[in-house]
Amino acid sequence: MAYSELIKNFNRIRDYMREFYIYGFKSRDGFTKKSARSYDDERRRAESWLGDYMRFRQTPEGKTVFLSIDSRVSRHNPLYTAWKTKSFTDGDITLHFLLFDILCTPDVALSLNEITERLDEALRLFQSPRLFDESTVRKKLKEYVSEGIVTAEKRGKGVYYRRAASSAFCDADLLDFFSEVAPCGVIGSFLLDKLGAHDEVFAFKHHYITGALDSEILCALFAAMREKRYVTLETLNRRRDRTLEDRVLPLRVMISVQNGRQYLMAYTPRFRRIASFRTDSILSVKPDGESRDFDFFREKLDGMLPHMWGVSTQGTSGQRMEHVEFTVHYADDETYIHRRLEREKRCGTVKRLDDNTSRFSADVFDASEVVPWIRTFICRITDISFSDPKLEAQFKSDVEEMYRLYGLEGGERE
Amino acid sequence: MIFSELYSAYYNTVANVLKAAVDHPLQKGELRSIIEKNAFGESVLNIEPALVEGRWPLIRPDGRAAIGHTPTLPLTNLQKSWLKAIRLDPRIRLFGEELPDYPDVQPLFRPEDILVFDRYADGDPYEEEAYIRTFRLILYAIRNRCPLSVSAVNRKGGRMFRRLMPDYLEYSEKDDKFRLIGSGCRYGGTVNLGRIETCELYTKPFEIRSEEQPQPEIRKVVFELIDRRNALERVLLHFAHFEKQAEKLEDDRYRVAIFYDRDDETEMVIRILSFGPMVRVVSPQRFVELIKERLIGQKSCGQ
Repeated sequence: MAYSELIKNFNRIRDYMREFYIYGFKSRDGFTKKSARSYDDERRRAESWLGDYMRFRQTPEGKTVFLSIDSRVSRHNPLYTAWKTKSFTDGDITLHFLLFDILCTPDVALSLNEITERLDEALRLFQSPRLFDESTVRKKLKEYVSEGIVTAEKRGKGVYYRRAASSAFCDADLLDFFSEVAPCGVIGSFLLDKLGAHDEVFAFKHHYITGALDSEILCALFAAMREKRYVTLETLNRRRDRTLEDRVLPLRVMISVQNGRQYLMAYTPRFRRIASFRTDSILSVKPDGESRDFDFFREKLDGMLPHMWGVSTQGTSGQRMEHVEFTVHYADDETYIHRRLEREKRCGTVKRLDDNTSRFSADVFDASEVVPWIRTFICRITDISFSDPKLEAQFKSDVEEMYRLYGLEGGERE
Repeated sequence: MIFSELYSAYYNTVANVLKAAVDHPLQKGELRSIIEKNAFGESVLNIEPALVEGRWPLIRPDGRAAIGHTPTLPLTNLQKSWLKAIRLDPRIRLFGEELPDYPDVQPLFRPEDILVFDRYADGDPYEEEAYIRTFRLILYAIRNRCPLSVSAVNRKGGRMFRRLMPDYLEYSEKDDKFRLIGSGCRYGGTVNLGRIETCELYTKPFEIRSEEQPQPEIRKVVFELIDRRNALERVLLHFAHFEKQAEKLEDDRYRVAIFYDRDDETEMVIRILSFGPMVRVVSPQRFVELIKERLIGQKSCGQ
């Protein structure tokens, strides 16, 4: 098939955009899973859509392409562009603009026959134009009725179509903000496209943008939660390079603002437990039957939250609950460390032992999730213990390895 | 469906072309310039011939539109349901706009459908009237280029005063806080909104001297990482929001360069430490020393 700037299937580009943005070190040969031609096409598309952000580097393995985006500088998520690339036919676009010209206000209500006649009339202005038959027009109107932009009203035996009433548009500042911070913010970006250029007053720090690529997956999961419905998830195991199917009951989407990952928490009948699924590994969501147990499982998840540091509901120790605690010591002018513990802890308790010492402790399903946070207090940890001895040994050996990495082993300063 | 041609850059571009062509016959070059402004790098190769050759019979040969009205579109159900969802967000009150209820749709999601699980606990008080008033005044001042006189509590609990020209508001999702970034202030133009006590329009003459414009100082840190315990993905995702470069050195070894603002250096140090021995800073030496200082401090703790 000839190259086109537009695409039919979003999943095709989803993985490439992730690779270009998150990793950005693979050369053409590194994209082994897909054909070289597919790589060339997707790279060319990304370049066309996001030319300002594309960068190239020559390496011994060949040219690498990557997306370099400082999200603190860029006022809008550049990855939203990928959602604005759906292909269509010549007939689709022609019909679209002519139909909404014919149905120019909500006061105009016309039958299918009347609409088709007016379309013919509009197209007569052109030499040998393509005319639309009634079934094509009916199909397009039906599609627009389901999108909510056209209404259909039965009068006797006939159906009359009219443009849906226009709603008041919102403030650009509001859209600028929520299109970046709310789930499925790309929808806000679609609304901003209608507003046109304006001065933007918001910038974003610690702003993760890759979740944008999972927007349609999120929409399907939200719909399932709204309808309290099971779904069949098709997921990709990247390490093993294989896909799996799982029937699950979606309960909540958990979002990290410290690494940008999004997870679905869902009850999985196969394992009889609530587990997490990364949304960027979900390839498709198919609705299944309704569940009478949705409220029960959501309450169960609520009850689990005080013992979840991240999204894990099971550690590797075999214990249902794992204990972790550590003590930090700080100088007189470093009392902000106690505030840091209070502010950054997601569960557990912080106790001030004296003016210069505080202790954090928690009972969590998976204590290994707390380890990266504990490491941020390196230089002041005076005591640490885990109920899982393996985890404690690993934490301590990791610190030893860090000493070695920086030439600090053996107690000697380099 | 989010992935729909209804929201596509091509449909939006053609709507802009038609808007101009309803108003006046398109001049030579005008079609191309509208396409270049609104669509992608290569779009002109597709949209221009499709309209000119009549494959999309929407522009007459004389440059006038084949339609009589400026193209507009009602909100789709998807757009309404998203707006209905953000209507439930407490931060909506900051904007002072009452969104319609959109009774014909359900919210796309409800607050209980999502949970940000690692946001810091001391976020800004979005529902406090004084905070809302300050936020709206700052928005007004940015829009209208009005200088502000601000008093706030600093980190050490003391009081600080600033007269500045507000440029923009910066929001951190991790901190859940807004910061006002301004210029024309000798002592730094950044103020946390949550720390503001009073904020008023400054009505006396105010001049911004060029040397007082805030200039971020971008620094670079380079580290090597070893891809154990899924470190490659964890590290690259964690630092994804920075401008960065990554390259593969060997099978499981990578070199990553991150560009960050000097003001965030301490934060960078602890973020790198959080990856433990999977990451080793290699340059600059000054940054290496910052990591070593922490490790030496830890050694003296006896753990």
